[in-house]
Amino acid sequence: MKFGHEYEKVLASEGFPKQWLVSAIDYKFLKKCIKKIHKELQELGLDAQTIQKLSDPWDKSRNGAAKSAAERHDFYSAQPPHLDAIPEEFTPQLRVLVDRRTYTPLDATLAPETRQNLQKLAQHEVITAEHQAHWQQHARDEAPEQSQDPELHQEPTLSEPIDPKNVTWLQIPLASAKYFFDLLGPKLQELEQLREAETLKLEEEILELGARVEDVVEPVREGFEAKRRVSYRDLYFWREMFRLYLENPVFYSHHEAKPGALTFAEAKTRLQAYDQQLRQTGLLGKMKTPAARIAAKQFLDLNVSILKIIGFQEMNAEAMRKILKKFDKRTHLEGQHFLADLRTKYPALLPPTATTTGAAPATTVNTKPCCTIGFANTIAHDMYSEITSKILGIVPQLDDWSCPVCLEMAWRPVSLGCCRALYCIRCIIRLQDDETKRCPACNAETVLKADARNLNFEAMDFLEKYFPLETKKRQKENETASLAREYGEEFVKPGCAVM
Amino acid sequence: MAAPLPKRIIKETERLQSEPVPGISAEPHEENARYFDVKVDGPSGSCYEGGEFQLELFLPDDYPMCPPRIRFLTKIYHPNIDRLGRICLDVLKNNWSPALQIRTILLSIQALLGAPNPEDPLNEAVAKQWKENQPEAIKTAREWTTLYAQKK
Ligand SMILES: [Zn+2]
Ligand SMILES: [Zn+2]
Repeated sequence: MKFGHEYEKVLASEGFPKQWLVSAIDYKFLKKCIKKIHKELQELGLDAQTIQKLSDPWDKSRNGAAKSAAERHDFYSAQPPHLDAIPEEFTPQLRVLVDRRTYTPLDATLAPETRQNLQKLAQHEVITAEHQAHWQQHARDEAPEQSQDPELHQEPTLSEPIDPKNVTWLQIPLASAKYFFDLLGPKLQELEQLREAETLKLEEEILELGARVEDVVEPVREGFEAKRRVSYRDLYFWREMFRLYLENPVFYSHHEAKPGALTFAEAKTRLQAYDQQLRQTGLLGKMKTPAARIAAKQFLDLNVSILKIIGFQEMNAEAMRKILKKFDKRTHLEGQHFLADLRTKYPALLPPTATTTGAAPATTVNTKPCCTIGFANTIAHDMYSEITSKILGIVPQLDDWSCPVCLEMAWRPVSLGCCRALYCIRCIIRLQDDETKRCPACNAETVLKADARNLNFEAMDFLEKYFPLETKKRQKENETASLAREYGEEFVKPGCAVM
Repeated sequence: MAAPLPKRIIKETERLQSEPVPGISAEPHEENARYFDVKVDGPSGSCYEGGEFQLELFLPDDYPMCPPRIRFLTKIYHPNIDRLGRICLDVLKNNWSPALQIRTILLSIQALLGAPNPEDPLNEAVAKQWKENQPEAIKTAREWTTLYAQKK
């Protein structure tokens, strides 16, 4: 009651687009369906208690022998066979152990009416099955090349050898339960389509914004001195804006203890905090060109759009989780198997931490997930990597271009040829003076061979372009250092520094 | 006049404070920024779990060309750590690389607590016990942890 109400309120009030709402899970209606299933079961004489009592020991006997279950009068279970054994889609069904000749259920603990009802159902099922077998045989006769493996198409484990002479297991599908899943299944397909469509749209937006950012941060345009001063400073504002974003990405946590896609609530908090940070630092206002300010605003809007679809998908995933939990609680028909089936169909649906090999689906649904669930998880992952590579990546961060020895921007960068690490030429000389043979980053014995030919001019150009202030600073340091070497420390003491 | 602190040490110290490694802390001394008080939590699942081990770490003048000097101050029963707290760890010796940092070294030390290696012993007596009667050795290590490595 509480969740259903909250769910409807959020769907109505968060300003989701109409075409999204059409795909939303109809929680209220599904809840009604569960009531109907419950009624159907009760009419069969299968109240929750009976089902629970009879299906619980079966659950345990999965690991042990089927025989012990029989000893406990467990002649009946709501448990469908293990998923691996079902080639077709999951259908909720009863498994009833019956007399092979009369189809009377064998469980002595069942009430007489229940037994009668089940017998009727079983007889009906057998007739239908015979029909099907007949038609299948017919089809096989007509298309013999398709019959290479007839075993595979048969309903699996129809019989369990307890007393093979008189006893057989029968599976009876439950109509209203099937209806429930027929309603839920297509919804998930719609939600998946929505995810795909929105992802495509957002990816396009990201690409477009990336081009805009590239344009406004375009550093040092030769020959355009006036423009240069403007974009030069904007470049640093953008770098700071993105550095702050990378420190606490909105949709993804790098925290060692708990990495993964964040929940809607966490992401919202982070986006608000980021917005706050931008205001406090006044970065947006500092940007010189109007185009830069527009692009910065678009960057924030983009994050809001992503947050919205994550919120919508997360709500739906939560609704599905709750409705299946309710289904299990009210019907004891193990709707979890439906989930296991879904997992194979939509591997993205459940967060990676909760994904098991499909062997134990029950536990994953009941434990509160550590990160966001459902399609929201995929969206958060995808969008985070898109933003990182296509927008944030346009403005290089100093940390990615620092020398592993001095941790500052690689000055007069040297590549040793063994790996991608860039070193300052002075740091390499220091390593050589120290007779260090191995590359600090990859351990290859390349240090002593390095000389002026290892200077990486391409990287040098790049660094001069994108880190003009750092380049100047290191240039000055270098001049001071060489002065110190020539004239001694005294010469460069503060106070007599040459500007 | 003492040489100014290299940028690298300043950066490393800043990062240790702004992005601390879980279960590890390193605080520089006020009067000597090359000298750190270090605390490392025993890794969970190891016989040092629950213990907090104190170490001292010193960055020599030619750091990062040579490794930091580091030793345990807390008494510990471990085949690769001797009675003076000196540590036998390849990255602190031959396998040192200037690309390693204080944080990576401390992580290696924490990992060493989780995976003692009696085949490359520094403390012969402990290593012998570790090889001949591991359950007993682990028991002693646990006892020492309770005895000497209590959180303050
Ligand atoms: Zn360097
Ligand atoms: Zn290398």
